[in-house]
Amino acid sequence: MDRQDIIGRFAEAAQDPLGYAKAWKARTGRQVIGSFPMNFPGELAHAAGALPMILQESDEAITVGHGVLFPFYCGYTRSMVDQAARGRFEVLDAIMFGDHCVQLLGMADAIRMKLPGTRVIFFQLISSMNDPWTQGRSEESFAKLRQELEEFLGRPVEDAVIRESTRLFNSNRRLLRRLYEMRKEGTAPLTSVEMQHIVKSSMIMDKAEHTALAEKLVAGFENGTAAPSRGLRLHLSGHFCQAPKPELLAMIEECGVTVVGDDLFHGFRYISTDVPEEGDPIAALARWYMDRNTGVPCPTRVQNNVDWDAFLLKAMREERADGMIVLMAKFCEPHMYYYPEVKEAFEKADMPHLLIETEHEGMALESLKTRVETFVEIVKRREAALA
Amino acid sequence: MKRYVMGIDFGSTTAKTVILDLKGKRVAHAVAHMGAVSGDGVKASIKMALDQAGLTQADMGRTVSTGYGRRMLDMADKNYTEITCHARGAVAMVPGARLVIDIGGQDSKVIAVDDNGLVAQFAMNDRCAAGTGKFLEVLARAVEVDLDKLGELALGAREKLKISSMCATFAETEVISLLAEGHPKTDVMGAVHAAIAARTLGLVGRVGKKGPVVMTGGVARNPAAVHYIEQALDMPLILPELPQIAGALGAALIGLDDYRAEYKHQITEAEDMAREEQMAEDKACIPGCRGVPELAVDPREKQPAPRAGGLKSLLSTLQNNL
Repeated sequence: MDRQDIIGRFAEAAQDPLGYAKAWKARTGRQVIGSFPMNFPGELAHAAGALPMILQESDEAITVGHGVLFPFYCGYTRSMVDQAARGRFEVLDAIMFGDHCVQLLGMADAIRMKLPGTRVIFFQLISSMNDPWTQGRSEESFAKLRQELEEFLGRPVEDAVIRESTRLFNSNRRLLRRLYEMRKEGTAPLTSVEMQHIVKSSMIMDKAEHTALAEKLVAGFENGTAAPSRGLRLHLSGHFCQAPKPELLAMIEECGVTVVGDDLFHGFRYISTDVPEEGDPIAALARWYMDRNTGVPCPTRVQNNVDWDAFLLKAMREERADGMIVLMAKFCEPHMYYYPEVKEAFEKADMPHLLIETEHEGMALESLKTRVETFVEIVKRREAALA
Repeated sequence: MKRYVMGIDFGSTTAKTVILDLKGKRVAHAVAHMGAVSGDGVKASIKMALDQAGLTQADMGRTVSTGYGRRMLDMADKNYTEITCHARGAVAMVPGARLVIDIGGQDSKVIAVDDNGLVAQFAMNDRCAAGTGKFLEVLARAVEVDLDKLGELALGAREKLKISSMCATFAETEVISLLAEGHPKTDVMGAVHAAIAARTLGLVGRVGKKGPVVMTGGVARNPAAVHYIEQALDMPLILPELPQIAGALGAALIGLDDYRAEYKHQITEAEDMAREEQMAEDKACIPGCRGVPELAVDPREKQPAPRAGGLKSLLSTLQNNL
C-alpha cells in the first residue's frame, strides 16, 4: 500500500464518518459510541470494546434542524442537531456529551429530544484548570463516566484493559505528532487537507487499524530529504469542534502558503498530549485532561497561568512561521471572547495575522482568496522592506 | 532593457490599463466598460492605452495585472490583489495618504497604509455586494434613473429616509416600497447613498479611522456617495483626478519596482556616459578641468567622442570587427 493509498483510506473515513462506523459495526458486531469534541477520553469506550468516534459536522445544508436550534448557534451544533433530526445517527448505540461550551449543552438537549431511544451519557468537565480540587474532581468525572459505560455495556472495564487502550492511543498520537515534526522540517510535505484527513480519521477509525496505517505512512517519510518550503510559512489557528472545510484549506495553500503548523482541533490540538501509562488509569486520564490545556491552551478552559497567545507566538517561532491565519467558526463564543487577546498580543509582537470567519453554510471563496492573497502580499512586502 | 511597464486592472465591470515609463511617468491610460468576465473589454482597454502611447505589448518590460480577473490574463508577468494595487496607486496619486476607500463594481474595501506606503490593515465586504457599484446599479434600475445621473439626483434629497436592509435585493424592495408610499426619488436615493456611507464607515471602523483619506474606484465619481461618506466620516475625502485607474496605476508601479530591481545592475548607454562624465569631473585636479586620459570631451558635442586609443574606442573597434 503506497502513501497515497494510505491517505486515501484516511480520507474516506474522514469524509464519511458514519459510513465508516456502519461498516465497522457490520464487520465486528460491536457497539459504536459517538462523542462530542474536544476532551472526551476515547480510551474508556475503546477499553469497553466499543468504537469511540468523535461526531463530525456534516457538509450537508441544514434543513429540518432549523426547527430545533436557533440560527445563532454555531455551525457544528446546528449540523449535529440536523443530522440527529434526519436520522443520520442510527448507527450510534450511545452518545457521550461533554459540557465545555453552552452551545453544546443546548445541542445535547435538542439531540436528546430528537433521539429519545439513544442512550445519552452525560459527562461533566471541570473548566477551572488549576484549582487544588481540579485533579480530584476530574477523577470523579472520569470514574463516573467509566461506571456509566459499564452499566450501558453490561460488562466491567478493567484497569489493565484501559492501560492497554491508553498505550494504543498514545502510540497513535505519537505517530501523528511525528508527522507534524516532519512537516515542520520539510521531510513530510503534507498538505493541510491531507493532514486533516489523517487527524480527523483518527477520531473516527478503529484505533488499531488507524495506527497500523499511520506507522506505514510515517515510515515512508522517515529519512526523507527536507524540501525547502516554497511558499510563505504560516500557522493555522482556531477552529475547535468542527474541521475547517477542505476547500478553504486548499484555497489558502493555493495562495502561495505553506502551512507549517496548527493548533486546530482537527490537527495538532487533538494529538498534542499523551495519557500517563503508569498508575491508576482514571487518575491518568484526569492528568491528561489537565495537561492538554498546558500542551495546547484552549479558550474554553480557565487557567490563569496559561496563555493561548503566548503559546501561539512560541509555536510560531519554533516553526519559523512568517504569520498566522486565524480560522474562527461563526458564533463560536469561546473563540470570539478570546480572540481580542490574541490580536493584541500579535500586534504587540508585530506578528502578522489574518482573521477569517467561517460558516457552515459556506463562504465566498473568491473574495476570501483575495483577502488571503493580500495578506500574503503584505507579509512578503513587509519582509522585503525590512531586508 | 525595455522602457515601459503596464498595469492592468481587470475589474468586474470595467477594465483599466496604465502605461508608465521607467521614471514612473504615466504615458497612457484607458478605461473600457465590459460585460461580465469579458476578455474583450480588457483587450479593448489595453489596445486603447497602447495606441494612445504609440507602443506595442512588446515594448513593455513588465506587465502586472490586478482586479477580479487578474489571473485570467496570459500577458501578465505577475498578478497582485486589488487591495495591494489600489493602496500603491492611491498613495502615488496622493502622497501621504493614510486611508484608502475603494468602492468598485462588486466590492468595497478600506485600506490603512503605514508610513512606508505599504498596506498595514484592510477590511472588505465579504458576504454580499451591498454598498458597491453593483448595488447602485440595481437601485438605479429600480428607480429608472441613468446610473451616471444617480449621484446628482441623490444630492437633491431633502427628507432623511432610511434604507435598513444591506442586501441589494432587499434594498430594492425597500426602495420600491418607499416610492409606493409617495416619497420622491431624490429622497429615496439620498437614503440609498446614506446606507452606503454607513456601511463604509463600518469598514473604516475595522481598520481604524485616520487621515488623509483618499477615495478611489468607480463610485468615487458619484458625488452623492462622496458627500454622504464625508458626512459619515466627518472628514474630507481626497479625490484623485482619475480615481478609477488607481488599481491599474498601482499594478504598473509594482511592475516598475520589480523591473527596476531585476535590472538594477544594468544601465542605459546615456546613463553610462553620464557616469563616466561624472567620474571625469570627480578626478579633475583643477575645478573645470577635464583632463582625463580616457575622455576627450568637447562641450559642443552632445555625446563625448571616444578618444583614439582609449578604452571605448578599443571596444568599439573590437565590436565592429566581430
